[in-house]
Parts: sequence; structure tokens; C-alpha cells
Amino acid sequence: MMVPAGHAVEPSLSIRGLSKTYAGGVQALNNVNINVAPGEFLVILGPSGAGKSTLLRCVNRLVEPSAGEIFHNGAKITGRRRGLRAIRRQFGMVFQQFNLVKRLSVLTNVLTGRLAYRSIWRSLVYSFPEADKCIAIECLARVNMDHKAFQRADTLSGGEQQRVAIARALAQQPKVILADEPVASLDPKIARQVLSYLREAAQELGITVLCNLHQVEYAREFAERVVGMSHGSVVFEGSSLELTDDILHRIYYREPGEEEKEEA
Amino acid sequence: MSAATFEAAVANALALESERRMRRATRAAVWAVAVVAVLWFTAAQIGLNPAALVKGVPFMVDFFSRMFPPDLSHLLLLGRATVETVQIAVWGTLIAVMLSIPFALLGARNTTPHPLVFHATRLFLNALRAINELVFALIFVAAVGLGPFAGVLAIALHATGMLAKFCAEEVEGADRGPIEAMQATGAGRMQVILFGIVPQVIPAFVSYSVYRFDVSIRAATILGLVGAGGLGFSLIKTMKLFKYHETATCILVIFLLVFVSDWICARMRSRIL
Repeated sequence: MMVPAGHAVEPSLSIRGLSKTYAGGVQALNNVNINVAPGEFLVILGPSGAGKSTLLRCVNRLVEPSAGEIFHNGAKITGRRRGLRAIRRQFGMVFQQFNLVKRLSVLTNVLTGRLAYRSIWRSLVYSFPEADKCIAIECLARVNMDHKAFQRADTLSGGEQQRVAIARALAQQPKVILADEPVASLDPKIARQVLSYLREAAQELGITVLCNLHQVEYAREFAERVVGMSHGSVVFEGSSLELTDDILHRIYYREPGEEEKEEA
Repeated sequence: MSAATFEAAVANALALESERRMRRATRAAVWAVAVVAVLWFTAAQIGLNPAALVKGVPFMVDFFSRMFPPDLSHLLLLGRATVETVQIAVWGTLIAVMLSIPFALLGARNTTPHPLVFHATRLFLNALRAINELVFALIFVAAVGLGPFAGVLAIALHATGMLAKFCAEEVEGADRGPIEAMQATGAGRMQVILFGIVPQVIPAFVSYSVYRFDVSIRAATILGLVGAGGLGFSLIKTMKLFKYHETATCILVIFLLVFVSDWICARMRSRIL
């Protein structure tokens, strides 16, 4: 196994030299290197357009990186297309817009987290085995939404929808959860509640979390470790206690190209 | 900012606005002249002639007076043809609904397996829609013989062209979010379609299908003109035999059938959407 020097434990995720340039020529990521410890709650902090979203999407390959590699528990997960479904299955994802299927029930939405484990033939008749239903309801109970299992997803409030979306990610029984601005469209009280559910479930189940945020307060409250991003580059890595005004300025107000030598 | 700066900004914006309005008015005038010229020329070409219409009024009155009163004793004989018309519409639409689902998925940019398949499917669907039901009916009467089956096939093909195209556009317009969420779980292509797309397009698809059934009823009433079953056959038969009182009954029944189907379909669609 390839363990980077200086790390006692093998990282859950190891992102090396990751770059992404979109077809239009926009460079979203520029040589990003991050190691994430198993079970860690890592917050990726940065303004809109810093490349946080692209970074998460490169991990589960909703976006194909232009260069660089990603290792999960020592195994390379970038490059080949074969086995992509099995890779994605290990990464649950939570989105800013919740992305539930509105017309389906809460329970069915959570059950879609089990799709990668099931055959297409079974899916054709929209049926899931009993075991999957047990998993789904347990996941709903973890975010305290089991009492609304049979309601249609679009009848729920924003916070409730995001809790269901977390349950859907948990139903995948993932090793890692990628949360892309999970609370950006929620008010502060609900946002804290949703982040607490996410952190608690991840802690109990030993799931590693990469959580994109743009609000500093939430990062201070929830992060075990913070990675600061600006214009596609990592400009800070450390504990949330180290987030001084100077560092926040570097994350939020840096002009592209500035200070790039310093961080190398 | 000072009051003077605001004043300058307002004056500037007003000047720009009036300039834009002038330009738009000029463009509208040019278009209007062009359109009127084309319409005038077209009217001459196709012999648009109000005088001929006025002169024709007595003939029309004569025609309708021969139809009046409708021969209601013929009504019983039309029962069978009416039921057949509905049957043709039901089966034609049903086959179209089943065919249009795979064609819609092949012909939508976000679900097609390959861009070439997308273009081929859209071309095929356009061809189906370009050919009128009556033309299809002529072909199928020659192929499978006179009778309602030819009518069913004619409606099925033409309706597939419409339903599949509408459905494909609905699939393309589906919200990307849930689709991406399904992909992120590791679901396969078909599973993403079944869980991420189908629930989003079902209401519109059902609504289109009901509307298409209404259109099929109207189409089925005239398919008999070329021997493909239904009320149209009685219509043409009575006309050819100069039994205008019976023709009037046919028209009455067609009118009633279309009216009832329109009413039912409108109610069904309003309950779905």
C-alpha cells in the first residue's frame, strides 16, 4: 500500500495533483493535494467559484479530472471507467438543492441509495428486497425522519428534505460522504440541525465526510479540520482554530495568481 | 452621488430608451409591409375570391336542405360504426403509447446511447408525423386489407411520431439534480432513467396520451373515407349513394362523439396536471 511519508494511518482519501480544466477553458482546480484521515469530518471552505464543488465531483467522477490521481484506502479510483458503479457506491453525496425525486415517497427516495447493489430487473418493477427497506428505515431514523417515510418528498420542508437526502447517502452504506454546500439554502437554525445530523451519523458509522461550506461560522463549529480553497488551489490546511482574519482574507479575497509560491 | 449625477443618469437612460423604441418601431414597420405583400401575392395565387363564395351560397343551402331532416332511423345502424371508431382510437393510441416510450428515450439528448441514434430517431419520428393518418391508412389498406385494423395501424404510427417527440422533449427538460443524485449513488443507466427521469415525466406523458386519444378519435372518424373502418365509411357510403338524410345523421353522430370525447379527455387531463 502506498502510504505518504509522515502519516501514521493510511488516509481514507488521498488526492494528488488534481487539476480540472473545463471544456470552455475555465480552470476549476489547479494541482490540489489533500489527504483525508478515516472517519474525519473535513470542511472545505471557500467562496463560490473556488472549485470546491468540482473537487467533490472529481472524487465520485461526476466530473472527470484533467490531471492527477485520487486514492481511496490505497486503491486508485481515477482513470478507468470500468467498475465506476462500484466506486460511486462507496461515496454518498449530499447536494445543495437536496435533489430528491419529488414525486416519489421519502422511503423510495432513500431506497434509491440501494440501487447500485441491485439488479436492473428488480428495479424495472420498482421493487426492493426487505433487507433494503430495513436499511432505509434505519437510515431515516438516524436523521429522525422515519415518521414521514410514506409522505411524498415534495411535501417536506427544505431542512427535512436535506435530512432525507442524508439518509439516502447513508443507505448506500458508504465509506465517505461528499456533502456539497449541504446547508447553503437553509436558514441558520435548520442548517445547524442538518449539519449535526450529518456529523452524528458519520461519527457513529465511522464515515469520512468531506463537506463544502462557504460560511466560516459553520466551519468553526463543525470541522475537525479545514481546507481553505481559493481559485482552484488549496491555500490553507489546518484546524478550525487556526482560521485567523489573515487566513480568511487569503481564502476569500485573494486574487488569482497571488501567493501561489508561498503555499507550495 | 449628487443630484446632478442622478439627473444626468436619468437623461442618459431616457435618451437611450427613445432611441431603442424608434429602432424597434422601424423594424416592425418593415416587417409589416413585407408580410402584407406576401399575403396579397399568395391570395392571388390560390384564387382567394369572396365573390365566388357569395355566389356559392345558394348551392350550399341546397346541399344542406337535402340533408335536412337527418334520417334518425339510420342512427341504430351507426351504433356499430361508432363503437368501431372508438375501438380504432383506443388500440391505435395504446400501441402508440407503448412504442413511444423506447423511441422517446432513444430520441432525447440526455438518454440516447449515441448522438447518431438521437438524430436517426428524431428523423424517423419527424417522418411519422409528416405523413398524415389518411396517407398511412391508404398504405395499410393495401397491405392488410380494408377494415379497422388498417386504421389502427395508421393511427398508431402517426401518434407514435407525436407522442415520442413530446415525451423526448419532456425527458430533456427533466431536472438535472435528481438525475445527478441517482448517478452519484452508483445506479446504472436504466436505473437512473427509471428513478431519476420517469417520475418526473409521467404526469406530462399521461396528459399527452389522453390528449392524443382525443385526436385519435377525430382521426378515426374520417379514416373510413379510404376504407379503414369506422364512421367515415358510413359517411362516404351514404354520400356516394346520395342518401343525404343519412349523411346528416353520420355528421351528427361524429359531432356528438367528438364533443363527448373532448369533454371526457379535458376532464381527465385537468385531474392529472
